[in-house]
Amino acid sequence: MTESERPIDDSAAWIRAALTQYERPLTAYATRILGDVERARDAVQETFLRLCNQERASVENHLSEWLFRVCRNQALDVQRKESWMTPMNEDRERVALDTAPPPTAAIEARENLSHVLGMMSGLPAKQQEVLRLKFQHGLSYKEISRVMDESIGNVGWLIHVGIKNLRGKLAGEGAEA
Amino acid sequence: MKFTDDPRLTAYALGELEGTDRVEVETLLESEPAARAFVDDVRRTAAELEAGLKGELTKAGDARLLPAQRSAVERAAAAGPAKKLPRKRSVGAREWLGIAFAATLLGVVGTAYFGRQRYASPDESTSILANRDSAPARGPAGSLQGMGYASTVLPTATALPKSKSVVGNAPTLGRTTSRYHPPVDSIPALGYGTKVDEFFGDSENEQELSREAYERIYENPFFLAAVEQLSTFSIDVDTASYTNVRRMLVGGSMPPPDAVRVEEFVNYFQYGYEPPEGKVPFSVSVEVGAAPWNPEHRLVRVGLKGRPVDASERKPANLVFLLDVSGSMDNPNKLPLLKRSMQMLVQHLGAGDRVAIAVYAGASGLVLPSTSCEYPLEILQSLEDLRAGGSTNGGAGIELAYKVAQENFIEGGINRVILATDGDFNVGTTSDADLERLIEQKAKTGVFLSVLGFGMGNYQDAKLEKLSGRGNGHFAYIDSLLEAKKVLVEELGATLETIAKDVKIQVDFNPVEVKGYRLIGYENRVLEHQDFLDDTKDAGEIGAGHTVTALYEVVPAGGNLDVPGIEPSKYVQPAEVSSEALEGELLTVRLRYKLPQADTSEPLEVSVVDGGANFFELGEDTRFAASVAAFGMILRSSKNVGEATLEDVRRWAVESLGEDEGGYREQFLKLVDRAIEKR
Repeated sequence: MTESERPIDDSAAWIRAALTQYERPLTAYATRILGDVERARDAVQETFLRLCNQERASVENHLSEWLFRVCRNQALDVQRKESWMTPMNEDRERVALDTAPPPTAAIEARENLSHVLGMMSGLPAKQQEVLRLKFQHGLSYKEISRVMDESIGNVGWLIHVGIKNLRGKLAGEGAEA
Repeated sequence: MKFTDDPRLTAYALGELEGTDRVEVETLLESEPAARAFVDDVRRTAAELEAGLKGELTKAGDARLLPAQRSAVERAAAAGPAKKLPRKRSVGAREWLGIAFAATLLGVVGTAYFGRQRYASPDESTSILANRDSAPARGPAGSLQGMGYASTVLPTATALPKSKSVVGNAPTLGRTTSRYHPPVDSIPALGYGTKVDEFFGDSENEQELSREAYERIYENPFFLAAVEQLSTFSIDVDTASYTNVRRMLVGGSMPPPDAVRVEEFVNYFQYGYEPPEGKVPFSVSVEVGAAPWNPEHRLVRVGLKGRPVDASERKPANLVFLLDVSGSMDNPNKLPLLKRSMQMLVQHLGAGDRVAIAVYAGASGLVLPSTSCEYPLEILQSLEDLRAGGSTNGGAGIELAYKVAQENFIEGGINRVILATDGDFNVGTTSDADLERLIEQKAKTGVFLSVLGFGMGNYQDAKLEKLSGRGNGHFAYIDSLLEAKKVLVEELGATLETIAKDVKIQVDFNPVEVKGYRLIGYENRVLEHQDFLDDTKDAGEIGAGHTVTALYEVVPAGGNLDVPGIEPSKYVQPAEVSSEALEGELLTVRLRYKLPQADTSEPLEVSVVDGGANFFELGEDTRFAASVAAFGMILRSSKNVGEATLEDVRRWAVESLGEDEGGYREQFLKLVDRAIEKR
């Protein structure tokens, strides 16, 4: 029996498992991009609906990459539809992520959720995004490069600079001194 | 370089480094304690980051789907993928036969077409020079006296100083003034009220449309040749309006007036104009005879014919199909027709060609990376696998398609994005402008855009026309497999291979011979006169083998005819005319065009004398074009078509069917019949 001939039930169970595993990470990720959880949920739902339409075999071996990529595109599309002024060029991502600081950043700082997040919110949006994909969602450089449509070299550079910016600050006041 | 500036150290610390880079970093670490310290530091920071960010995730309590959303996904999961063929299945013997048969069938059609390319032989085609020779009594001197023009001293014998060919290169041509007038600054003030758009225009009735969007067309008015000698416009090779209106008529409804673009009706049909000789990419021929709807008026037909390119000579093509798979395409006359159409096109591409397939709906994505047409099965299968769903976001898809086209750019070849959609982009007005700007900018880099419109009820005609225009491309509407065959197989060369771009036409009317004139159609393509010489101003493209036709209705001078819609100013004196105006020429057609890779335009000039032909002395092509134009004008309830009826149209068309290769003219008759029934 080949992959594509598996009974549907099997695929359904597989999607349910993916839903359980990725629902939160994707929603958090999309919320970062869109700034509110409502629209993030819509993007995540659409992402999973798309997954339902995929051949399991074509997605299975790179599921997280696929989900993050689709979810990201969904979120950016939603964002762009709502923003007239976003230019139609390669700068799209940058503008989408840079111009609007995520509203949640302020809340995090206020609640002092954690020192890490406070420090993170001071970084440029793109650095934040790669760091989150790497350390929050556990994606590799290569996977991040596909999700964000960036070269691996550029992903490596963004992570490098991001870590350098945070280095020493995270370990608390002691390390800074 | 400092260690802290080397991203490889970070990558190494995170276990992301491989190959020689890894070896190099390890060597460095052995010898440099500072580098080791940096790597350790990165690892510590990474560990803290990871802990902090994972914490963020668990604390974001509401970051999950709502129960209703989750159950929607679960239902979809249980239903399984929509009917879809497995991607990498092998093709069974029967299907092989089917594909092979289809390919053979289409191959025959294609070959027949490319092999045909029949043109009127010199003796059949109406030669302008011949017309000139047989020019009857309406001589220059007579006209002058009749009109009482020109009180200055004029030569009475006006032998044409130079022997003019039908198509003449005029490299020194650099003026936008009339050749029949002195330079503008020596013309006395002309008074006011001579541009009369307000006399025409707002007559068409509004019609409630589903969601189909048509831009309002204000029919070109008549101009007085003594006041406005020049008429400048961009060529238009689009045909979508005709097909779209056909769809409506066949479906039993009359089209709204603004859906009718007369020039696209006329240009839907092939005409047997003589192909160019020498290096010029296209030929220009002009024919003059009586206008069928008003025999006192003259009809001027300007015909352009692009140099035909044989299928075997066609340059290699790098095509990116950008296909709309949004929910609105889920309709038998949209996505399935689109698939078949694109498959038909793929089957006519050769091993030197490449095709990539990008789709867009809620998200955009690359379905098939650029693939050589040496392996058409993979491309065909990818097309087969497309399914509709999601909302549309054309913008992101277009960017992706251009990116892929650019990555696979064939220097000196055909680089083109073919967008197939019902045009429902769901982006706001400002984004439309952004989209146009993007397309325009990409066209400058050599990636052109063609647009294929599909479907009904949701069809965004105006937008699609605009987009293809920006992208140096053409816009066709596909309502049937037969139409797909015409656009994508028979006219493959023209669709893919642009042989001249930014083609602009300026007609210089001689007021000694012409009292007034009107450009029929091309309302969306009218240019400012100064745009003619301005190489930065975009205009239409002509494809290999393409014919482009423009018609003017001319009110001749020398009689008591009024120019419709214009009461001449009581203050205006006829302007002075140049000596060339007395040579009996009716008008001069000037063209400017650029070769596909060029930035500067080339001139081309043809002078025309009215040989006095009546309508039935005109060639079949001109008569047929006139009947198609009349049909369009009647559908638009135009005031400019006189008393002509649909029955007249039918009669004129029946008498000018010619060889009618492909039966398109015959089909036009059926369409006229439909309109007669619906009236």
